[in-house]
Amino acid sequence: MGGALGRALRSPRVLLALAMLVGIACCAIFAGTLAPHDPGDQNLLSILTPPAWADGGDPSYPLGTDSLGRDVLSRLIYGARTALLVALFASLGAMVIGAILAHIAGYFGGAIDWLIGRAVDVWMSFPPVILSLILMVGLGTGLSKVILAIVLVDWTRFCRVLRAEVLIVTRHDYVAAARLLGFTHWRTIVREIVPATTPLLITLLSLEMAIAVVVEAILSFVGLGVGADQPAWGQMIADARQYVYQSPWNLLLPILAIFLTVAAFNLLGDGLRRTLDVRLAETGR
Amino acid sequence: MILLVLELVARRLLAAIPILLIVSALLFCVLRLLPVDPAAMSLPPNATIEEVEAQRREMGLDKPLAQQYLIWLNAALHGDFGRSIALRRDAGSLVAATLPATIQLAACAMTIAAILGLGGGLLLFHLRGTALEPVADLVSILLLSIPEFLWGLILLFAFGVLLQWLPFIGQVSPGLPVPHVTGFLLLDALLVGRFDVFLSACQHLILPAFALGLAFSPTIMRVLRSSLFDIYLEDYIQQARLRGLSERQILIGHAFRNASLPTLTLAGVQFGILFSGTLLVEVIYSYPGMGNLMVDAVRNADLPLIQAIGLTYCIVVLLINTAVDGLYVVLNPKLRAR
Repeated sequence: MGGALGRALRSPRVLLALAMLVGIACCAIFAGTLAPHDPGDQNLLSILTPPAWADGGDPSYPLGTDSLGRDVLSRLIYGARTALLVALFASLGAMVIGAILAHIAGYFGGAIDWLIGRAVDVWMSFPPVILSLILMVGLGTGLSKVILAIVLVDWTRFCRVLRAEVLIVTRHDYVAAARLLGFTHWRTIVREIVPATTPLLITLLSLEMAIAVVVEAILSFVGLGVGADQPAWGQMIADARQYVYQSPWNLLLPILAIFLTVAAFNLLGDGLRRTLDVRLAETGR
Repeated sequence: MILLVLELVARRLLAAIPILLIVSALLFCVLRLLPVDPAAMSLPPNATIEEVEAQRREMGLDKPLAQQYLIWLNAALHGDFGRSIALRRDAGSLVAATLPATIQLAACAMTIAAILGLGGGLLLFHLRGTALEPVADLVSILLLSIPEFLWGLILLFAFGVLLQWLPFIGQVSPGLPVPHVTGFLLLDALLVGRFDVFLSACQHLILPAFALGLAFSPTIMRVLRSSLFDIYLEDYIQQARLRGLSERQILIGHAFRNASLPTLTLAGVQFGILFSGTLLVEVIYSYPGMGNLMVDAVRNADLPLIQAIGLTYCIVVLLINTAVDGLYVVLNPKLRAR
């Protein structure tokens, strides 16, 4: 595992992705000091001003203002905080539920495996976008509600993929040896199986973060996201969509922010998959 | 072989029934947990408490949840999905009126995704071992990072706003009539002989269909490429080379045909997701399909309509997956022989 981690940190993909993510995370953590304005401050005398470098731009609003005269740069920076909070907690939550059920199903097999498998089937017959919209109707808007909705929709992604991996790992001799040594089921899972499934888990976690960023943006875009008082990239897009002719920049910037964040998580996931997965790392694909 | 496919499809559809029952029950429960009162919402704001109570009884909201579900299920099986609270129309007919537009969009998008995905996959494979491979690989990952939601906005921005080549609001230009025969606008325009409407509808379909197609092609691309890699390790490729076939003949005649099977399995799952992806694209382009209806219903907490649309999405996705399974048997000789 140590060697695999070292290999991962030498991969240019992983390094590039980490550099991007550190940058975005810095925006999110130091939003208070980095943002030139309060993201909610309205200045109705200068609405839809273009970026500072364009004609009619105002240097105090480096990337211009939106339809309520709020600073676009500040909203982008605070939006990073919203996006990363959702990405982190939603994917961790989905991972915990999915991974626990996957290990139980894959390790014990039998009726419990069947039951969890059918639950996943039913869950997945709901298109994710539709399910998350319906959940948001039930839960109401807000940051924690968005996180909960994503956890409730996406635990199946972890469960399905990990279960297959647990099935393979469980058949290994060293797992049988651990049982023969008198390990309890719980100890066998934690000490012998989880370490073997961790590389896959980390990769899935990274990919899930990318998905969570998109889902948060989508929910905020349709007005069922984190709520109006919390700046979010999806909201900025919805606002800019109405004034796209007056200020195209306002549409382009949050799109770019979402793209860069999602691309960083996907690159990280892809890089980790290539380096952490021993089978893939050996074939060089 | 047709018998085999029919048998498989029938088996899949039978298996779908319990899933649909559970899905509809779940849907029903989640929506009943809402802190909104459908009875009060369906009455004017000046209704008295007694009137609301009477309405609750009439709508069956005072009964236990399980009984309410059975009543709803019984009505739904008879084609009655209840009335939309906000639009005051039959929910089933609202879905029926918007579903064709969504299917039309999804079908165009699937065609585009398949063409771009297969073409791109062959290109990616063709570039293997060349200096361009890492670049193409990176580009395909970056493309994978752009969901339909962002493609919709990017295309709208580039071709609608910046270049102003294509329209991006609605499904025909304002002022043109919308003929109603089958509900599929492209077909209807041709049926009534309005080529101007047909042309306008095509133009309006280009951006949303490409937004969806572009979002779903990279996955198909990458799976085709990796299946081709696997197949080129097989002996029969070497055999074909020894027989003197050109690389092109090997790729198209032998490798591509076999690689298309795993690709199809994945594309089936993808097409199911693509169908629900129409929702966002419809919202972005104000396209009058089921997705826009759903978002409006969700914003108005219009329970009967949300239920009807949610279930329709599930049914269509299940049908798409069944159809792909059937196609898989048609294409895979190994399954046919059994």
